[in-house]
Amino acid sequence: MTELQQRLATGKGKFTPLYEELDTGPVSYEDSISPEFFEAEREAVFRRSWLYVGRSERLPRPGTFFTRELNGLASIVVSRRKDGVVNAFHNVCAHRGNKVVWQEHPQEESKGSCREFACKYHGWRYGLDGRVTHVTNEEEFFGLDKDALRMPPVHCEEFAGFIFVNLADDPVPLRTYLGDRLLELEAYPFDKMTQHYGFSAPIRGNWKLAVDSVCEWYHPPYVHARFIDKDIAKAEKMVPPPDSYHYDLFTPHMLTSVPGPPPLPPREPGTAGAAARDQKWVYRLFRAGLFGPDDVPDIGPLPEFLNKGKIKSWGNDQFWLFPNLSVQIWARGFYITYTYWPEAVDKHTYDIDLYFVPPKNAQERLAQELIVDSTIEFAMQDVNTIEATQQGLSTRANRQFHLSDQELLIRKFHKTVRDTVAAHQARDAKES
Amino acid sequence: MSAVTSIGTASTLPARFADLEPWVADWARPTRQERYDMRLSKKYGELEEFYDAIAPRAEEAIEYLNGRDLDDLADDDARLLQLLYSMILVSYAVNVFMQPRIPDSGAAFFNTTAEPAV
Ligand code: FES
Ligand SMILES: [Fe+2]
Repeated sequence: MTELQQRLATGKGKFTPLYEELDTGPVSYEDSISPEFFEAEREAVFRRSWLYVGRSERLPRPGTFFTRELNGLASIVVSRRKDGVVNAFHNVCAHRGNKVVWQEHPQEESKGSCREFACKYHGWRYGLDGRVTHVTNEEEFFGLDKDALRMPPVHCEEFAGFIFVNLADDPVPLRTYLGDRLLELEAYPFDKMTQHYGFSAPIRGNWKLAVDSVCEWYHPPYVHARFIDKDIAKAEKMVPPPDSYHYDLFTPHMLTSVPGPPPLPPREPGTAGAAARDQKWVYRLFRAGLFGPDDVPDIGPLPEFLNKGKIKSWGNDQFWLFPNLSVQIWARGFYITYTYWPEAVDKHTYDIDLYFVPPKNAQERLAQELIVDSTIEFAMQDVNTIEATQQGLSTRANRQFHLSDQELLIRKFHKTVRDTVAAHQARDAKES
Repeated sequence: MSAVTSIGTASTLPARFADLEPWVADWARPTRQERYDMRLSKKYGELEEFYDAIAPRAEEAIEYLNGRDLDDLADDDARLLQLLYSMILVSYAVNVFMQPRIPDSGAAFFNTTAEPAV
């Protein structure tokens, strides 16, 4: 072990055997390549889970709204009503089904601010709650019950500034769905982090394979070798030991905590040293790296729900909100959300959003820029690996695969998806 | 704010950074997407030249900009800041990958859906 590895090691034994619901045998990846499974998953998981659609800062005032295209699921409007409450409804006109809210391109998402929504087809109007307020030439219709007409409602609830929708008829309340461990997130000052960068990538791979790629730290010395050390043998020695991580499974959600380097001490102006073609010099100059800024913003004391595994040099906590959202809270005062939107068995959209405390000066602004750029450079390296895995799996030349101890979240995550599908199908069979 | 204003001899940067003027037309770009596209459009040697020109002035530029109000930047200050954003983007190509594109990244790309105005 290297010095770094010795410093972070905890001497903990294997994690997977601690979880009764997990075995240690080989796994199948049929759930990521079977079109039938994909359809079943859409019904059982995506049509019945709380799905994160955006931060509440996107709706700063009554009358503000945004639309979301939930591919293959729904097209919805999310708006803040006059009473301040956020609500959601299907973006479908009660007259003849036209999509009501859009600008320039009907396929694209839009946002804005208004008092009422007007359908572009025949001018019916809707309030911020989706109810019809005006029917053009109403007297020409036959027994319209105008009060009952609306864009169909979608269950919508807010938690810690995260807006969720649920397409099921009668879902459990959001807070019940999240459970005690995730409710603790409410203590985090998300609302202080309004400096927002967002990115979106189309990926030709199953969405679960993309989740897998950020659920383990087995791949960085290979996929991200150049960032760690050009010499892979050295890169392998630079990564924290497997026993330095922390895991928690609270079905259907889960958590992992990760070690990271401490920030650099403050520096006097003019002491960055001579310019060099060396990325470590760039990190020193801009006082930031993949793990965050060296000048950590003051966001108050660290809430107790973070780093529960008491990792010595804590880097971040990654909360996996089933099915497709990860909220990654970093030790150095910022957070990132990762969202995965399936489109087909072998295709999804991967959204990465980073949030910082607004910078006070150019130095802080540049540090944030470097964190963002580093995150995306790393993510770009992961994308093609996901596509390559999809290609390999879909040949079915191998049908059994092997997960190590540090891949336990992957084992758990796929099992949770499969269990959710199986439970839904069992319920369906019973009812029919 | 127009990025292409370097006409004639007038500096479009703060006076003490006038020597960086040759880099403004290509690299003082207001959006990350434009800066990334510029990185991909350049040969590796051109990225090295840009990096080698900006890096020795970067610390001084940061210090200079720290004295300005980020919410009320003059155009020439904003251009200097954009050169530093470009330097960060280019640094991965020059120092990590030794080529403009991330190796093995194929056709992968990320669309920007949100970024700060400045
Ligand atoms: S379809 Fe909307 S008014 Fe006719
Ligand atoms: Fe990765």
